[in-house]
Amino acid sequence: MDEISRRSFLRWLGAGIGLVAGEALLRSCGLRPLTPSFPGLTPARTASPEGTAESVTSTSAPTETTSSIPDVAVARGGEPEDLIRRAMDALGGIGRFVRPGQDVVIKPNICVAYHSYEYAATTNPWLVGALVRMCLEAGARRVRVMDHPFGGTPEDAYLVTGIREQVEAAGGQMEVMAPFKFVEVKLPGARDLTRCAIYDEILKADVLINVPIAKHHSLARLTLGMKNLMGTIWDRPVLHRNLGQRLADLAGYIRPTLTVVDAIRILTANGPTGGDLADVRRLDTVIVSPDIVAADSYAATLFGLRPEDLDYVRAGVAMGLGRSDLENLRIAVV
Amino acid sequence: MARKPVSKAVRARLPRYWVWTRRAVQYLSLLGFLVWFVRLRGSESPAAWVDLPMRLDPLAMLSHLLAARRLLAGSALAFLVLALTLGVGRAWCGWLCPLGTVLDLFPRRRPSRVPDLWRKAKHLLLGAILIAALCTNLTLLVLDPLSILLRALASGLWPAAEQAFGAAERALYGFPALRPLVSSLDRLVRPHLLGANPVDFRAGTVYAGLLLAVLALNAVAPRFWCRYLCPLGALLGLLSKVSLVRRGVNVRCNACGACARVCPTGTIRSEEGYTSDPAECTMCLECLEVCPQRAVVFRIHLRPERRQVYDPGRREFLLTMGAALLGAAVLRGERHARARLSKPIRPPGVQEDRLLSTCLRCGACSRACPTGAIQPALGESGWEGFWTPVLLFRLGYCAYSCNACGQVCPVEAIPPLTLEEKRRQVLGRAYIDRDRCLPWADGRPCIVCEEMCPVPEKAVVLENVEVVQDDGSPLLLQRPHVVEARCIGCGICEYKCPVPGPAAIRVYAGEPARF
Repeated sequence: MDEISRRSFLRWLGAGIGLVAGEALLRSCGLRPLTPSFPGLTPARTASPEGTAESVTSTSAPTETTSSIPDVAVARGGEPEDLIRRAMDALGGIGRFVRPGQDVVIKPNICVAYHSYEYAATTNPWLVGALVRMCLEAGARRVRVMDHPFGGTPEDAYLVTGIREQVEAAGGQMEVMAPFKFVEVKLPGARDLTRCAIYDEILKADVLINVPIAKHHSLARLTLGMKNLMGTIWDRPVLHRNLGQRLADLAGYIRPTLTVVDAIRILTANGPTGGDLADVRRLDTVIVSPDIVAADSYAATLFGLRPEDLDYVRAGVAMGLGRSDLENLRIAVV
Repeated sequence: MARKPVSKAVRARLPRYWVWTRRAVQYLSLLGFLVWFVRLRGSESPAAWVDLPMRLDPLAMLSHLLAARRLLAGSALAFLVLALTLGVGRAWCGWLCPLGTVLDLFPRRRPSRVPDLWRKAKHLLLGAILIAALCTNLTLLVLDPLSILLRALASGLWPAAEQAFGAAERALYGFPALRPLVSSLDRLVRPHLLGANPVDFRAGTVYAGLLLAVLALNAVAPRFWCRYLCPLGALLGLLSKVSLVRRGVNVRCNACGACARVCPTGTIRSEEGYTSDPAECTMCLECLEVCPQRAVVFRIHLRPERRQVYDPGRREFLLTMGAALLGAAVLRGERHARARLSKPIRPPGVQEDRLLSTCLRCGACSRACPTGAIQPALGESGWEGFWTPVLLFRLGYCAYSCNACGQVCPVEAIPPLTLEEKRRQVLGRAYIDRDRCLPWADGRPCIVCEEMCPVPEKAVVLENVEVVQDDGSPLLLQRPHVVEARCIGCGICEYKCPVPGPAAIRVYAGEPARF
């Protein structure tokens, strides 16, 4: 064989260094979220609409500008689009929450790819479609719809649940949540969950509309607005310990602009996955509030529960995220 | 080597239409294979061509026919390749085989010093595969060339590329200025080329390693694999002995040796007057266009080609037969022992015995499985079941929304079930390990298995119990139980169980013994 020349030695050395560097690159491929967080983001949504910040953060009487506007709007009876339009009108119109040129993210519950919307495991597609249309009518620059399913692929879930069809027909975009966009952030006001990897686009959006479907869940009892925020984080199991407080910590950081609880169909048992029409009840109801705690509190009553039966509602109230005193809240039923 | 410049000059002078055409066909074929491979992923109903590549493979189809004793209508596609071979010899190898094309990407370095007798190895391998197939054993099909490429891509290289791409995206996303660009790039690439979530294969090195070994052998001799080892090449080579069009040399030959130097399979020998063995010739036509004398001719021949020293003889055939029979028997015994130790969990609808005599070990199901649950077996069903599909629920789960594996299996080793049928298949049954389960063992609340259970009436149910904690205070706990009659063994509970290491709820295949 040939003797090793300097050139070939260098070549092998280069290859070795390349291998080592490549190994480091490959090791960084793990699903570890990015850290640190991007600069400039404040805990509260930066572009809070008029009146929303107050009504979310304070438990005192609402300010004058919103005095004629209810805290919670409940629309009953009618088609999904009709329900959401009536409820939004009662709240002073979508224009209060979505300004021209804003970037909107809608976060429905698309937890599994197993069933169509009739099974009430996932948010009603026409409700989501209507919200997309209303945001665009209000002048939104872009409306994206996304969730992070735990059963089946997101592509399948978007298709099977019927949501993709309605969103695209309304002019919105479905986004598949990419692993690399979950960024690790510190949650400053949190009592238990102090760090969490959250989807960057959801944090960056000017307006976040949280559209849960009201359904049964064994640990949380019900999946509503605060529980729906679990779809915005990478490592869901982390939340199961001390679920109520951790959901409140998450809600306090993400602060959806608006929570729209889909109770057109509710799932009363075998949630969150569903699959049996016998567990589904048709209520044709939509609950809308900028106060996520108030929306969840009202939705709990649809299942015969009191707001304080839900750990996350209690934790949310304790943190001052919103109100659960339904007797004092101004609720417009339309 | 001293004459190389001359041949280069000659090559430059002559237009090389045949070689260019061949290369175009090769690259198109490889590209088609890659497109097909990429589109295998996912659970949308697959196109009609989903079975095409493996069904074109005469070795796979013939072995399947012998072992499964069942004629698949689609396997008639393999006759196309057989007909091609009877017409123009091993053109499959030189023009169409995607593995061959990959091997051609690595240019040859020096003439081979490997003795010609080694070419016999591929014939022995072919004999062993076919005889074992008669005994319903398909173990050696792991050496089918299409399988080697497909499996290496599915379970080794493509996941690695996905990981690397994800790492690059993550790194670039760290720079705020690049974020819109990275997002757009991701939207462009992810739905088509990459999955939403990367899948991991536990032995990607092994799966990719076989392909890398085949590539590495190219350094010993160009197309080492095709010359000495490829069992499909052996099968087509034997047919090529009677193919219609074969290579010949006419009187204009002045023994310059240019053809022998460019022949990728080294079958042109000066001592034989620069003739070649059609069983070794891949019809690449390099010699045709390199010959300055235009002495290479491809003409119609009707008489069978003469035997070569490396062609299989009767004695070798008998030896191979003995070895294959013995090997199949040993593997069968080992498999029975394995099955009693623990049964592997198979894809939905699969019958264990039928799988082993049907599965081509091609890895299409691994590629199709969107969660990465289907992995090529290492030891789970003995060496006989090496690289047959098993489900490893710590790495993925059988999604309730998916029936892709049965749709892409080229030989229905995994039956093509509708989604409704597939949802009723019982892959196994989940058992709770109460010594490790958080509520059972540690008094900590956890309901993940129940939450994830996809069947309409949950197979994991929760029992409410009040336990006394260490400090004497009461705690309301929910403890999971599995309802056997409802569990389909999809494994999502095992996949999602938060307990580190082996899950506290695990799926096992097989029925309990009856009393």
